[in-house]
Amino acid sequence: MDALLRDHLVSVVVFLPLAGAVLLLLLPRSAASAARNIAFGVSVLDLIVSVPLWTRFLVGVPGFQLRERIDWIPQLGITYNVGLDGISLLLVMLTTVLTPVSLLFSLTHVEKEVRGYSVAFLVLETGMLGSLVALDLALFYVFWEVMLVPMYFIIGIWGGPRRIYASMKFFLFTMSGSLLMFLAILFVAIRHHTATGAWSFALEDLTRMTFTGRVETYLFLAFALAFAIKVPVFPLHTWLPDAHTEAPTAGSIILAGVMLKLGAYGYLRFALPLFPDAAMRFAPWLGVLGVIGVIYGAMVAYAQHDMKRLVAYSSVSHLGLVVIGIGAFTTMSLSGSILQMVNHGLSTGALFLLVGVLYERRHTRELDAYGGIAAVVPVTTALFLIATLSSIGLPGLNGFVGEFTILLGTWLSPHRWWSAAAATGVILSAIYMLTLVQRVFWNPLVVEENRKLTDVRPSEFVAAATLVVLMVWIGVRPNDVLDRIRPAVESLQKSVAARQVALHESARPEISEVRR
Amino acid sequence: MTFAFHASDWLLLAPELFLTAMGLLLLGLSVALGKTKEDFLAFLATVSVGITGALVAFVATRPERATPILGGAFVVDNFALFFKALVLLSLALTVLASARYVGAAPYPGGEYYALLLFSGVGMLFMASGNNLISIYVALELMALSSYVLAGYFKAEPKSTEAALKYFILGAFSSGVLLYGLSLVYGAGGVMGLPELAKLLASASRSNLLMLGILLILAGLLFKIAAVPFHVWTPDVYEGSPTPVTAFFSVGPKVAAYAILARIFYVAFAKFHADWGFVVALVSAATMVLGNVAALLQSNVKRMLAYSSIANAGYALLGVLGFRTEWGLWGILIYLLAYTFMNFGAFTLIILLESKGYAGESVSDFNGLAKRSMPAAVVMLLFLLSLAGIPPTAGFIGKYYLFTAAMKAGYAWLAILAVVMSAVSLFYYFRIAAAMFFTEGSPAKLKSSYALSAVIAVCAVGTLVIGVVPQPFLEVLKSCVLGR
Amino acid sequence: MSDGVLLTGGAGVLFAVLAAVALASAIAVVVARSPVHSALFLLLSFVLVAAIFILQQAEFVGAVQMLVYAGGIMVLFLFVVMLVNPGVTRSEKSFQHQWDVAVVLLPIFLLPFLYILGTEKLPDVPVKAEAFRMVGTRVVGNTEAVSWVLFRDYLVPFEVASVFLLVAMIGAVVLGKRSLEKMD
Repeated sequence: MDALLRDHLVSVVVFLPLAGAVLLLLLPRSAASAARNIAFGVSVLDLIVSVPLWTRFLVGVPGFQLRERIDWIPQLGITYNVGLDGISLLLVMLTTVLTPVSLLFSLTHVEKEVRGYSVAFLVLETGMLGSLVALDLALFYVFWEVMLVPMYFIIGIWGGPRRIYASMKFFLFTMSGSLLMFLAILFVAIRHHTATGAWSFALEDLTRMTFTGRVETYLFLAFALAFAIKVPVFPLHTWLPDAHTEAPTAGSIILAGVMLKLGAYGYLRFALPLFPDAAMRFAPWLGVLGVIGVIYGAMVAYAQHDMKRLVAYSSVSHLGLVVIGIGAFTTMSLSGSILQMVNHGLSTGALFLLVGVLYERRHTRELDAYGGIAAVVPVTTALFLIATLSSIGLPGLNGFVGEFTILLGTWLSPHRWWSAAAATGVILSAIYMLTLVQRVFWNPLVVEENRKLTDVRPSEFVAAATLVVLMVWIGVRPNDVLDRIRPAVESLQKSVAARQVALHESARPEISEVRR
Repeated sequence: MTFAFHASDWLLLAPELFLTAMGLLLLGLSVALGKTKEDFLAFLATVSVGITGALVAFVATRPERATPILGGAFVVDNFALFFKALVLLSLALTVLASARYVGAAPYPGGEYYALLLFSGVGMLFMASGNNLISIYVALELMALSSYVLAGYFKAEPKSTEAALKYFILGAFSSGVLLYGLSLVYGAGGVMGLPELAKLLASASRSNLLMLGILLILAGLLFKIAAVPFHVWTPDVYEGSPTPVTAFFSVGPKVAAYAILARIFYVAFAKFHADWGFVVALVSAATMVLGNVAALLQSNVKRMLAYSSIANAGYALLGVLGFRTEWGLWGILIYLLAYTFMNFGAFTLIILLESKGYAGESVSDFNGLAKRSMPAAVVMLLFLLSLAGIPPTAGFIGKYYLFTAAMKAGYAWLAILAVVMSAVSLFYYFRIAAAMFFTEGSPAKLKSSYALSAVIAVCAVGTLVIGVVPQPFLEVLKSCVLGR
Repeated sequence: MSDGVLLTGGAGVLFAVLAAVALASAIAVVVARSPVHSALFLLLSFVLVAAIFILQQAEFVGAVQMLVYAGGIMVLFLFVVMLVNPGVTRSEKSFQHQWDVAVVLLPIFLLPFLYILGTEKLPDVPVKAEAFRMVGTRVVGNTEAVSWVLFRDYLVPFEVASVFLLVAMIGAVVLGKRSLEKMD
């Protein structure tokens, strides 16, 4: 057991939820409360097991740590190859925190097909964790797809009235993108085979390949499309509000908290290092789309009457900021983007959770159905307010650090105006979020039903409070997180810069070749 | 050419001879036992296929199989053994899936199983066929049995229509194929594939030869239901008894691919540049038409018919890839995966049929998750595999096919295939949505041991090939053809 | 066409005539209104094909063609025609509604075929007809040569064909039988 945890810690963290899911399948279908508790227990256990990842991770060391490597399909050079750097570490921790939080919320709010629900969440967790630690492109693709199916069912079975439409749209959007990515992965691997005679899907091997301009552009676009749909970057975002509105609360938390980040993560982990030249050429476009996303998302969010849809569009806006940070590509802006991914996971997760709390009591998410409930549900109000302040970037909370770092980092890049435009987005976010708080919690209490609202239950409080504690922690001690991010970001920048130089020196041979 | 019979020749023919004998025995028994003992006949047919499989395994161990026998007409290489195993697998699954269906219907079972076994004999010979004429005759044996099976439920107008359409178009395509074979024979003057390959290696490109190759291609494309020779498929699939449809979608197709691979990989590889273009166009048209037409179907058998047309388009990527061994591997692994996943999906249709003959609709799947969670999960597995999502067998198959296409320089076709795979998600997930998201009949699902066994085998195959493909890939490597 | 030894001079002319008439009578089988006429045209076409076989010194195949097709099968056909007595079929519209399509498509497919077949040179037929009747170093009779080829070189297709005929028979019985035994 000790040896297992010592040498295969990452694998244990990744597959523990899957083992829990298998265990659940052995239960009778009717054992709802047992299924609930086991699923929650497994996710908490996974959180506990994942803490050593955080403590054993060597701060300040670039490159991947805690690596494991086993041959999976030797015939094709596909390996089970996992490891962590600062970027994946943070997102892994975010995942292991948000899964128990959302399952804790579901403990009291899901009645239908509890066993299936629990199984779907645990499989989803394995899919997300696997995508975050995979260093072999084929393995990554497998986890990436494994992640889709449970979410499809979470939306489609436990979702709202238009759930079938929403789940189908979610599935088709993300799947179409990832199929093209699959083809691009295959193409890169075949080129590698042609050049070296050996099959490999390992990131390290494939990043040594260089491609000529046109080919690189196509490959980059195939990858970027898959990830941009997931983020979602501006014109590809239409699936997101539908998916969020229809998904059950816990599904929204995970969707917004982790799955959207996987888009940005995939871009940083794969698209950038594999196709640095094209990535740099398209970076300005990315930044512009990010700016559009920030402002468009904010404006549409302001126009919403449905709380959940409002928060969903605020995600489009916030992730636009992350995209800007990536597009600017300075050390600071990249670090800020990665930090902001975590921040957004925490704050939006909390917002969805608290919207869920209100929804479970009143079964409506219309802003007009509420008003003046601050006195009725003081604890809910307090938690909601903190999450809102975190989301709009109040100093002292995590959101401020992230947004500020991105804006400053972008200001230092050649694209100053992005920073200026994005700052207006930040102001807009304050407007729509505070309006939301105003209309729901303050304003005069006109709807009589609202007098009978009950405040958060203990389980709901624990779930939300966990997130609030983390928000404050990152807000107060951002360097705990930034120190882990920086080496990863710097090595990413270094490798991209080195390869760009090499690419321009090597006079662009017509057929790709491997540099040693 | 020296020619002599050896006792060992008959040894190598043991699977074919045994299966023929069992077909005859079933015919006789059906007269003797009458209609009450059909379960026994089904059991006997299953056992026969099983023993035939054992005989194939026995033949695999014989050293005599190194050289072709019977005047070079019959070859038992690894490639042939692979296809024999696959054909017998689909045959066994068909017999098991038929037991309840045919037993409940007012038609004699003995002849039904006998016809299945005879078509199996045809397919076994197809797998081993090594000269043009024996390939053709074996193909016809398989096809003729299929025509009769399609129309077996003769009181149903749809069944008769299916048989008639299949027969007329099938006979026409056989004529085209035969004409092509005769032209190639005319151009080369030899029947044996190795001799033909040797001759063509030094032959120059002639119009006569090209016409012959084109006609052979057309004849075979009909059998695998590629556009524009696909028009029979939806009607025949819809009208035939469902177990027979399931059989059509795998067995005969698999055997036709065996022929296609043997002729085009061995003999016509040299003229890849000439026929490759045609195959690329056909493949593109097949993928597009199959997937788009499937979107519009409400009858689930028709939907899967178009889906199998689309799958034929993917598999043609492997034929294009015949420049390298990857094309051959792609076809082999894809057919293996396809047999499991497609047959599994059809078996669930048999299980759920609720509206009388040829009335299977997507709504049969409504609320399946409530009626039986395992059935719904397994169907989902088949659908995911058909759509090519990892970690399922279909993914590994598509992986090889796409690689083959790209290695042969058809990247655009691989992109089209991927786009079309995305389109296919629409209709596959219509079934998934019906199973999980909608309410359906509350009736308890009644399965039989045989059907459950078929579904279990298909599910295990689909999953295992997807998760641990390595042993299967090892087998594939040894199944390549020499050229 | 290349000029093999078997089809030159008078034999060639005879072949052309026989082939043309055989083709014409085959078309007549399809076109004729009365089934009896159809059957007789079919008989004529069988006989002419047998004559072509004999012209090419394949006496055995010619004889079998006469016995099996012109004899056995035709008698059966006529039997059925007499028994059923369907009379003269009306020219049904439903069988002709695709004439226009056929007229367009036929030349598109036929002309390239004719062009290719007309311009390509077929491999030369061996000059000595005996070459077809060699078994080892021995020249044998026509019948023996056929049997050697059939039961030796093409044993597999021959045997498979026998199963094929069996299946055809079963199929005819299964589909043609009037009553469903399990229904009564």
